[in-house]
Amino acid sequence: MFLRLLFESFRRQKRRKTVALLAIALGMSIATAMIAVGNDIGDKINQELRSLGANLVLTPIEDTLDVNIGGVNLKPATEGAFIPEQDLIKLKSIFWGHNIKGFAPFLSDHQVITAKNGEIKADLIGTYFAQPLRYGKEEFTTGVRSVNPWWKVEGEWPPDYAAWPQNQPADVLVGTKLAQQNGLAIGDQIEIGGKSLHISGILNSGGAEDQAVVAPLHIVQDILKQPNAVRRVAVSALTKPEDNFARKDPNKMTPAMRDRWYCSPYANSIAFQIHEALPNVRVEQIRQVEQNQGKVLSRVSGLMLLLTLAALFAAALAVSAAMAATIIERRQEVGLMKSLGAGNAAVVSLFLTEASLLALAGGLIGFLAGAALAHQIGQSIFGSTIVVHPVVLAVVLCAAVLITFLGSVGAVRKAMSFDPAVVLRGDA
Amino acid sequence: MSRMQLLFRLLFKAAWVRKDRALTALVSVAVVATIATAALTIYSDLEGRLSRDFRGFGANVVVTKASGELTADELASIYTIAGSDGEVLPVAYAAASFPEGAKVVVGGADLEKLRKLNTSWSFEDRSQGNALVGARVAEAVSHGGSWQVAYGKAVSSIMPRAVFHSGSDDDSRVYIPLKDFERLTGVQPSTALVRVEGKPQDIRDAISRLSSALPNAEVKAVRQITQAQAAVVGKTRSIVLASSAVVVVLIMLSMVATFTSSVLERRKDFAVMKALGASNKTVNFLFAAEAALLALAGSIAGYVLGSGIAFWIGRVNFEAAILPQPVLLLPILLGCVALALIASTAPLRLLQQIQPAGILRGE
Repeated sequence: MFLRLLFESFRRQKRRKTVALLAIALGMSIATAMIAVGNDIGDKINQELRSLGANLVLTPIEDTLDVNIGGVNLKPATEGAFIPEQDLIKLKSIFWGHNIKGFAPFLSDHQVITAKNGEIKADLIGTYFAQPLRYGKEEFTTGVRSVNPWWKVEGEWPPDYAAWPQNQPADVLVGTKLAQQNGLAIGDQIEIGGKSLHISGILNSGGAEDQAVVAPLHIVQDILKQPNAVRRVAVSALTKPEDNFARKDPNKMTPAMRDRWYCSPYANSIAFQIHEALPNVRVEQIRQVEQNQGKVLSRVSGLMLLLTLAALFAAALAVSAAMAATIIERRQEVGLMKSLGAGNAAVVSLFLTEASLLALAGGLIGFLAGAALAHQIGQSIFGSTIVVHPVVLAVVLCAAVLITFLGSVGAVRKAMSFDPAVVLRGDA
Repeated sequence: MSRMQLLFRLLFKAAWVRKDRALTALVSVAVVATIATAALTIYSDLEGRLSRDFRGFGANVVVTKASGELTADELASIYTIAGSDGEVLPVAYAAASFPEGAKVVVGGADLEKLRKLNTSWSFEDRSQGNALVGARVAEAVSHGGSWQVAYGKAVSSIMPRAVFHSGSDDDSRVYIPLKDFERLTGVQPSTALVRVEGKPQDIRDAISRLSSALPNAEVKAVRQITQAQAAVVGKTRSIVLASSAVVVVLIMLSMVATFTSSVLERRKDFAVMKALGASNKTVNFLFAAEAALLALAGSIAGYVLGSGIAFWIGRVNFEAAILPQPVLLLPILLGCVALALIASTAPLRLLQQIQPAGILRGE
């Protein structure tokens, strides 16, 4: 009997049920889309902030001071200490190795460049552009192209030679200022330290590199006769914004706290782990980047959280108003049931069962629609997918049932409070 | 009873007798107006609010002169263009040497301003000294107290006031007050670090104005910062716009459904009016007037509530209130009323095709 009532109610009131279902589905797709976007926005903005470049810098502990004025390096290449290039792969071996998004080694020296118009003094900088590397089974490429995404090259990026190319000059980049001042162009040949080089592109970095020659690391090591040497490494790591816990002194923590600190991707715990893997290296946070990105990140995530809350509240209000309206309209039905002898419990259970069926169906439809919307937003704005966590489905279904119940209960009680005779006469 | 009085009575009674139905419609309009107002208010102010958070990144423009010094006139025009919100810090650099011969870069600048510009650096305050000392320099001169640096024949004694960590080249530098620097080296500032406040577009404008005002100097944006700022601010704006568009459209659909269904519920009212001799025009007008009144009331309430939400979000998230935008009031009122009119008059056309008698019989 109960099932039949339920079934007939859906069969005979298709329009009403569709409106209610639509309202729930719309509300829940808002909830799904906003939760998914709000949940993922932190990661997405964090990726965007990686365009700030490296946030950690490695230098040899034994190194002498840098003597660098106006982008010109006055320290001789032979002075000071170096980091062995082959050790750099150990960066990937640390606990948070996956968060090391990339690194770029640098080796530079002030050199005399012989060009067609005469001799120029400028910095020669060696680095990785997009060097393929292998750590265990993982293959990845790293270099300035990913670490310093604001570097722009007109022409071709040089390849990362493993050794001098046979029978031809090695490709290099020339900074835009240096090229302008000395009339260098793509395709020209220059000579440094008796080795001839071919300009494959003009680099515009907006920084000191605009007045330098930038070449593959192994070429520069060869010219400077410093095999395997690296002076500085810029590391771009995905980090968790510094909070009060991260500011505590790790040496004063209890073992449990220290484990938690070590296993959180804070900049200082990653720096500590790099120092463990490379003991002769000093790791500094590039504070300008590291200290500020957390602030920006928390602003954006906070904004999305508040907007999500507002949207969820609005969706809940819309859904419960729609549910209340459909039930109030059915006062006559309630009156009829009661005059035929149905108890309050029977009426309430029928209405709430209907409501929960509607909520489950609407919630499912809404979840699918919302996930599609979130995907679309992610693709069009960030060019990457926003993943909707399956747990959101459970949350959305629960929320749908809860909201429809809240909307229904008041309305059902109100519908029952009328005298059946009055309702059936149509006077209420 | 005049026609006008009858009309008001019908409108008022229709809402009063079925308070719940009127309330549902009112709530659905108010929700649409609230979300639309809140989202648009935040959106219009977002660029400025978020750009403030990039203040901590320090200088975003660097002015350098390849040869010679920045003249008083040039500095004056930099100060003018940076404006009262911006920061300008003239700096001079020179390579000095320690007594044992190792080189160190010494910078001359207003030390208070340097600290203010680079809020991200961490400073360890020392005794009363005259210099800000980079962490690597402090490590290299491991003995505390003061030490000497020489520039040519001139010698100056350095006493750290604070040791700082920056993670940049500055860790290998010592900064002393500009006056002391000029006395030591005779060199005047040739570089100015500039912090331009504002939106990405304002910064671009300031850079082009600086370039044209200073033809002999090189004006460079610190591209990593300006680029990240543009990316983050732009993407955040788009995500706020996209997600609020989704929410507003969906809630609008739900509002349309509520209005349509409430009109369809009232087919008996419709039929009685027609049976009593009302023309299609009169009935349409009555239903439309009711919908418009509800929408007007709902959207005014929604505008007030939405402005309140935007204000609150500004307070909570940006530590500065986001003020209501009066410009938004009219579009939101008109939009809601138009939507309500469409939603309530469309089903009437459907009803007009049925004989009133049929509806009253319950067909």
